Amino acid sequence: MPKIVTAFLLALLVAALSGCSRTDQERAHGQKPTDLSQPRHSLRIGLIPEQNIFNQMERYEPLAQYLSKKLGVDIQFTILLRYGNIIDNFVADGLDGAFFGSFTYALAHEKIKVRVVVRPEYPDGHSTYYGMIIVRKDSGIRTVKDMRGKRFVFVDKATTAGYLLPYAYFKSHAIDHHTYLRESYFAGTHENVVMDVLDRKADIGAIKNTVFALLAAKNKRIAQELMMLERSPDVPENALAFRKDLDPKLVQDIRTALLRMHEDIEGAELIKAFGAKRFIETTDNDYLPVYRYARQAGIKLSSYDYLND
Amino acid sequence: MIFFLVFISSGFYIITNIEKVTSSLDGLILLHQVEIIRERLLVELKRTQLDLQLRNTQHARSGDTIVTHVKALSDLVNVCFECHHTAQVTARLDSLQTSIDAYKNALSRVFTMRANKQRLVSEQENAFEISSEIVAEVININDLTTKKLRSSTTAALDDTRNMKVFLYTILITAPVSALVLSLLFLRWFTRPVSVLVHAIRQLRSGDLSYRIDGLHDEYIEVADSFNTMAVSLKEHYDRMQWAEQVVILGELAGGLAHEIKNPLAGVKASMEILSTDPAVSEENKDVLTKAAEQVKRMEALIKSFMNFARPPAPQLADTNIHAVLESTLALAQRHPLFGKSRVGRITVVKNFDDQLPSILADPAQMQQVFLNLLLNAADEMPDGGTITITTQFESEMECLTIRIRDTGKGVDDGLREKIFQPFFTTKAKGTGLGLSISKRLVEQQGGGIRIENHNGNGVSFIIAFPLFTRTEVPVP
Repeated sequence: MPKIVTAFLLALLVAALSGCSRTDQERAHGQKPTDLSQPRHSLRIGLIPEQNIFNQMERYEPLAQYLSKKLGVDIQFTILLRYGNIIDNFVADGLDGAFFGSFTYALAHEKIKVRVVVRPEYPDGHSTYYGMIIVRKDSGIRTVKDMRGKRFVFVDKATTAGYLLPYAYFKSHAIDHHTYLRESYFAGTHENVVMDVLDRKADIGAIKNTVFALLAAKNKRIAQELMMLERSPDVPENALAFRKDLDPKLVQDIRTALLRMHEDIEGAELIKAFGAKRFIETTDNDYLPVYRYARQAGIKLSSYDYLND
Repeated sequence: MIFFLVFISSGFYIITNIEKVTSSLDGLILLHQVEIIRERLLVELKRTQLDLQLRNTQHARSGDTIVTHVKALSDLVNVCFECHHTAQVTARLDSLQTSIDAYKNALSRVFTMRANKQRLVSEQENAFEISSEIVAEVININDLTTKKLRSSTTAALDDTRNMKVFLYTILITAPVSALVLSLLFLRWFTRPVSVLVHAIRQLRSGDLSYRIDGLHDEYIEVADSFNTMAVSLKEHYDRMQWAEQVVILGELAGGLAHEIKNPLAGVKASMEILSTDPAVSEENKDVLTKAAEQVKRMEALIKSFMNFARPPAPQLADTNIHAVLESTLALAQRHPLFGKSRVGRITVVKNFDDQLPSILADPAQMQQVFLNLLLNAADEMPDGGTITITTQFESEMECLTIRIRDTGKGVDDGLREKIFQPFFTTKAKGTGLGLSISKRLVEQQGGGIRIENHNGNGVSFIIAFPLFTRTEVPVP
């Protein structure tokens, strides 16, 4: 009897160790844990660090719970520490989808052919945003000439507002910002950029207008002490896109659920708390302004190095 | 009632104390929970600090892990806000919440920022500085909580100890109190019974004059009944004693009279013969005549004795009491006590009830009784007075009464009970048999006789006869 028990326990131990080992190997080689072409009952969706990563997670978490309950699929959001990580994680960690920023989507669509589905429409009716170059009003910086030798804070190389705009701006003035500026760095979130310029940790910053408005509503100093020098064209708000080989029916179900979310009481309350009015259908054509803006800036999406220096 | 109040008060006190102790223990549990929460808060803080330190190493945590750790931190702080706090504590918690928010911002900046080393080090130091301040604050709060926990524990232990002492006191005193109260109650409850038992024993021992006194409530009625019974027993006993005495005296007197009667007859005859002898001088004849009169008197006395000892059986017949009274009155008024030679005149007043029915009685014996009472009354009024004869039919009681009242000096209250005893007399020449014979004659016809004193204004003898039918007449 003890031998049988010992053998059973050893068998369990071997099975457990072999299971752990296989998972580690898969992760080490960036392999997908399952066959992604098959329908699954759980989804991992990435979130870009648009604002404080903890607040960002808190804002999106109710959406995951709503969709999980609605669709019977376990949906989990995963926060990413960099915009560019989304593209990496689709490959390395097997993300099924993500809420992409406009430039991130353009890059991901170009590199891994993700399919955009929906994006939020805000209570004032807009579903786009634009990038802003901001300075303190008392900084004396008004033109590109005034920026020489200053400190510039970007968000991330994979953001439209936080990098593509200033990149295009300097490009239009035939300026290499690496040498023109005293210092440039990536704050990681739009919120950090606003606060760094406000707190004089940087002289100039590039951000998206929606985050600026959001923060300005909470902190009066932002509108009183900061000003915009330049803006980008309007581009689509952060949108949900899925990997190209995800079960089309599941994609369709999620799209339908989100598009109708504002029609039921629970969904309407959640979407209101999220800060939006509803989700609207979104296609790749909505990103034409982004593609055009990147081209104008001389960026080739397929070969663009989105990793921050 | 006292026991009930003590029981209720003790129960109320115990329940109140149990609630107090339970509340204290709840408070302690809450404080321990707070202490645990604060300890967990410290652990989560240390964990986020570790996340910071592991950044840019091969063991760096993922964004999700960092978010999970910070979320746990926030959730713990939010738990603190769920409890009720004083304004001072709430202010400290608000401050802690603000610091946590600042720490979250600082952490977010550290993990998302890409900049030169100096700037990154600055951000990291800032995050560490905030976290260290939070750690210090949490430790500070923990110290306060620990102090409060210690004082609350002491207070709760004191409460528990006091409760224990009280319960032990109750445990010891309650049975003793209950026993004492039960004994008191038992004594209170059984005392009337004991009094009754004692009274009955007294009666059994022959003390018929014993009376119950001092009982209360419903036992008063029992005591009254007992006392009434004792009075009745005393009366019956006295009556029996009297009857026994009468029988003895009767037998004694009868025997004596019988033995004396014949010799006396011989003596009287001899004296009468001698008094007619011519040889006897006149002087001696007078002596013999006087001696013969004394012998006659002795014969009358002996006759009375024999009447008393063996009264003749009553010859009952329908008797008109008024007629008997009238004939007796006529007879009495010829007696010297009513005679004109008296100093004072005797007036007789008759208040006869027209509705008085005839009764079954012996007219001759009744005449003897009435004559005795009338002559007694007259004798009691040597200076004259009024004798009032009143008859009355009491239909409700179904009896008739004959009251003979004089206006003499009356009888002392102390002599009233003795006045019907044989040989008891207040007269210088009385035999003491008249009233006792009258009483016996009345009673053997089913009636009764008693005396009423009028406080120095004479007495009344009241004779009562029930209206028996012929078959109901008591056997003498």
